[in-house]
Amino acid sequence: MSDVHLTIDGAAVSVPAGTTIFDAARMHGIPIPTLCHQQNETPVGVCRVCVVEAGGRVLSAACVRQAEDKMVVTTNSEKVTRARRTLIELLMADHPSPCARQRQSNDCELETLARLEGITQPRFPRRLSPRGQDNSSLVIAVDHEACILCDRCIRGCDEIRHNDVLGRRGKGFWAGIAFDYNLPMGNSSCVSCGECMVSCPTGALTNKSVVKTVLPGEPVDVEELQQLSYFQKVSGTFLELNKNAVVRRHYRKGEIVCREGEYGSTAFYILEGQAQVFLATPLAHVQTQGGATGFFSKLTSRLAGRQQERREEEGARRSIPIDAPVDLPYDNPVATLGPGDLFGEMTCMSLYPRSATVRAATDCVMFEMLRNVLDIIQRNKTLKAQLDANYRKRALDDHLRSVPMFASLTPEFIDVLRNKVELVRHTKGDVICRQGDIADSFYLVRLGFVKVSEPHPGGELVLAYLGRGGYFGEIGLLGEGRRTATCTALDHVELVRIHAEEFHQMVEQFPDVRQNLERLAYERTEQNRQRLATATSMPLDDFLTQGLMEAQSLLVMDLERCTRCDACVRACADAHEGVTRLVREGQRFDKYLVATSCRHCRDPLCMVGCPVGSIRRRNSLEVIIENWCIGCGLCAKNCPYGNINLHPFNVLEDDPANPGRQIAVVKQKATSCDLCTEHAEPTCVYACPHDACHRVDPNEFFRWLGTPLETETRRSLT
Amino acid sequence: MRIDKTHRGWVIAATVLAAVSTILYILYAVQSPSGPRGGSAIGLTFGITGYALMLYAGLIGARKKVPTWRIGRAQTWMRGHIWLGTLSLLLILYHGGFAFRGALTAVLMILFFIVILSGWVGALIQHFVPTLMTERVPMETIYEEIPHVRAQLREEADKLVSSVCGPMDTEAIADEPAAAVTTLVEIEQEDRARFRDIYLRRVRPYLADPEAPRAELADATRAREVFESLRRLLVTPVHAVLDDLENICEEERQMNRQIGIYRWLHGWLLVHVPLSIALLVLGGVHAIMALRY
Ligand code: HEM
Ligand code: SF4
Ligand code: SF4
Ligand code: FES
Repeated sequence: MSDVHLTIDGAAVSVPAGTTIFDAARMHGIPIPTLCHQQNETPVGVCRVCVVEAGGRVLSAACVRQAEDKMVVTTNSEKVTRARRTLIELLMADHPSPCARQRQSNDCELETLARLEGITQPRFPRRLSPRGQDNSSLVIAVDHEACILCDRCIRGCDEIRHNDVLGRRGKGFWAGIAFDYNLPMGNSSCVSCGECMVSCPTGALTNKSVVKTVLPGEPVDVEELQQLSYFQKVSGTFLELNKNAVVRRHYRKGEIVCREGEYGSTAFYILEGQAQVFLATPLAHVQTQGGATGFFSKLTSRLAGRQQERREEEGARRSIPIDAPVDLPYDNPVATLGPGDLFGEMTCMSLYPRSATVRAATDCVMFEMLRNVLDIIQRNKTLKAQLDANYRKRALDDHLRSVPMFASLTPEFIDVLRNKVELVRHTKGDVICRQGDIADSFYLVRLGFVKVSEPHPGGELVLAYLGRGGYFGEIGLLGEGRRTATCTALDHVELVRIHAEEFHQMVEQFPDVRQNLERLAYERTEQNRQRLATATSMPLDDFLTQGLMEAQSLLVMDLERCTRCDACVRACADAHEGVTRLVREGQRFDKYLVATSCRHCRDPLCMVGCPVGSIRRRNSLEVIIENWCIGCGLCAKNCPYGNINLHPFNVLEDDPANPGRQIAVVKQKATSCDLCTEHAEPTCVYACPHDACHRVDPNEFFRWLGTPLETETRRSLT
Repeated sequence: MRIDKTHRGWVIAATVLAAVSTILYILYAVQSPSGPRGGSAIGLTFGITGYALMLYAGLIGARKKVPTWRIGRAQTWMRGHIWLGTLSLLLILYHGGFAFRGALTAVLMILFFIVILSGWVGALIQHFVPTLMTERVPMETIYEEIPHVRAQLREEADKLVSSVCGPMDTEAIADEPAAAVTTLVEIEQEDRARFRDIYLRRVRPYLADPEAPRAELADATRAREVFESLRRLLVTPVHAVLDDLENICEEERQMNRQIGIYRWLHGWLLVHVPLSIALLVLGGVHAIMALRY
């Protein structure tokens, strides 16, 4: 190709034809400031900061205008500098200075230019309508305010990484960048490669600062990370910024990787070796010896073996849900994980306690990572496909069968489902389906918690919280084809989505599944109707409606009858092997004491977060704690009324210091009132000699307190 | 247990039984020439039934020891205890024909009267006193927890005062000048020393031993006066702390009250229970002796 000859700022320059003025100048050491132009991206010429005089009537953008033969270019004339200054000033007028990038690393390109131009106080007014921020991505912060519409990110995403996630939205004042069809970044198909963030000249896209934790373990270089398939497509600069959030760990055979109940913030990915997942806390309900000599006396706890005190419904239990791609079989809660398995996602994404203990079964190498890196790899299409395939292959069967309702599905049918189900993820706050939408699928919760609620004037009414093993969507599919409630992700949620077609196929082939689902749908609808009736018939002030209305059952003590003999507390302790589940203290309401004892709330907050799903509701709606509780204490923390206690007890465990020996360690388990459902009346009520202790339905209870009933009628109701 | 209309059935049953036995007794007393005697067939029947009812009444103790037994609700037992226990007195009186010969029987009857009387005293206490407790002790806590709560209150009060006066060595107070201390409330050195002194002399001793007889702050009216005068004496910035201290003292007083009322509620059992056991044992001895000889 022939060369062109031109003059730039008086210097004679020759460059191959097709070269831009900017490149020509750069090759000859003449600097021209740019903003929207970046060397590795196709020039678009939108910001006009690179203006030069090139002989025409108007100034030209050096980054797009090609050099021509005999062209005379001036890059620093009075006219050019004035125009550039005005442009920068206009951009700065709308820039939240100092922007995030400027604050983080002092290198916002726009602010640097402004400083060089000596611009401090822009002469132009700011725009009034805010453009907003988007904090939904775990790794990248989006501040639309700081965006100068240079399109560098869009070109980075589309041209360099070929991810085609970013584009433009809106017009005029509303113009901005958009992820997919203008979704929040975290919910879009963004794969967290970081290219846009690396491309952005301002604080519109910045790296979310990594948690300042230093992970113990061997640091991993970026080059090495990029060797691995799921980091291959991630921007090197971006990985560099995040690399302290991932370390390589070596575990010797027998070493503990993490312990159940502990709080953590990391997930593990197994590179080599096998690891064993198990529950170190024995499966048992808390029992206590030493007699019931009063609540505050010292009691020694022991555990009832599972066979000794097995609850009716436990017979049907097949597995315990944990934070790993597999569930633990109920009868022998141990499982093995191998290379390619990822575990600890719930802990990492939503900071829940560890759900199980993991021990290296052979020498192991693992990556331990914080949530920004977990997010990067979870969004990686290859790895996601691999993890999903693992799940479909190994865990789907157990997961489906762990739901008693699906226990009868045949292996053949599960094989059909295996490839038909969709595995979907939702970030905190996502609406999974909305009341009134067309019901097109049935969902099974794999990870995280889903809130089922109905919108009502004056607020939403929570119908249920569903954790792992929970399911929803059957009412719409079996009924009128519309969603009857709104389901929202409370944290990082992963779901198994069974589409309407397969769902209908399933209910046709398995009449008992259909029957069960229909029965349950009926029960759920009925409960919802009752709740609604309660919600609308409560004339009482907020204080009551908040705490007490949510209760399905309250333990109240008539303080005019109660002689403070504590027979109730002792009885409770006696009935539960020395561990009382009721404390004769609490809020007073009218002449009643609302004792500290499980209220079996309609929206049991305690259930949200249990890492092993051991605190749950029976179909009869009371809240119970199953025997595989690992004693992490989250439920006790979550109960707003302090109605869950943790009871310590000793168990023997292998001594890590002296192999072959055992030492006593203290473990704990959560306990709460189970309403003594095996009896007609709770033990505390039965044991009160003074007719003072009652389990009441607050609905009734309030109604007659709220309305001027005859005192006599009141009396007879108690 | 409140004696209310839930007792109606029991009252009627007990009255009917009492009426029937009275008729029987009258018929029998009129018919027997030598007057009613415990040893006669009818007398023995009265004695045995009466003792059975006493035993039943005594069994409430055992029933309460094993609350998990599903052998009737505790409140049913309690109602039965009151009414059948009372009825047993009548039967025993009929058994002995209102005459008690011999030392053992005299002791037995005295015990019996005390047990029944104390029982009724207790029943009345339990009828009225819980309401009193509820009204007079709004901040009621668990009785066994009181020492613990008291320790906490003491600690809280010390913390409050040291937030104004700087760290406080409760042993040796006056000597060290609290100059270098940083406090939450800015007040003069002199006021600080005065406040601390007042706290240590007048408030702290009460918190240390709230049950001491005739403590100044144990009396609500007196306490109000004391705190009023302290408010006048001390600068405004410490008034908030004074209010808190006043509340703490009120809580202490309520706990005193709670202890007092609690003792009323349960103290009578110290008479009723041991004597009732003695009564049952001696009653057994009496029965064996009477039947043997
Ligand atoms: C034969 C006669 C009686 C015997 C042997 C007897 C025995 C007892 C015993 C052993 C207890 C202790 C229960 C515990 O362990 O807390 C008791 C409690 C009590 N007794 Fe009696 N008693 C008799 C008659 C009566 C009568 C006539 C009354 C009256 C109204 C009465 C009222 C009570 C009451 C209110 C309690 C307290 C129960 C509680 O607070 O839990 N007793 N009695
Ligand atoms: S039941 Fe409570 S203590 Fe037990 S594992 Fe679940 S959240 Fe933790
Ligand atoms: S058993 Fe009845 S009277 Fe005794 S403390 Fe409990 S509620 Fe009060
Ligand atoms: S750098 Fe040339 S137009 Fe933006």
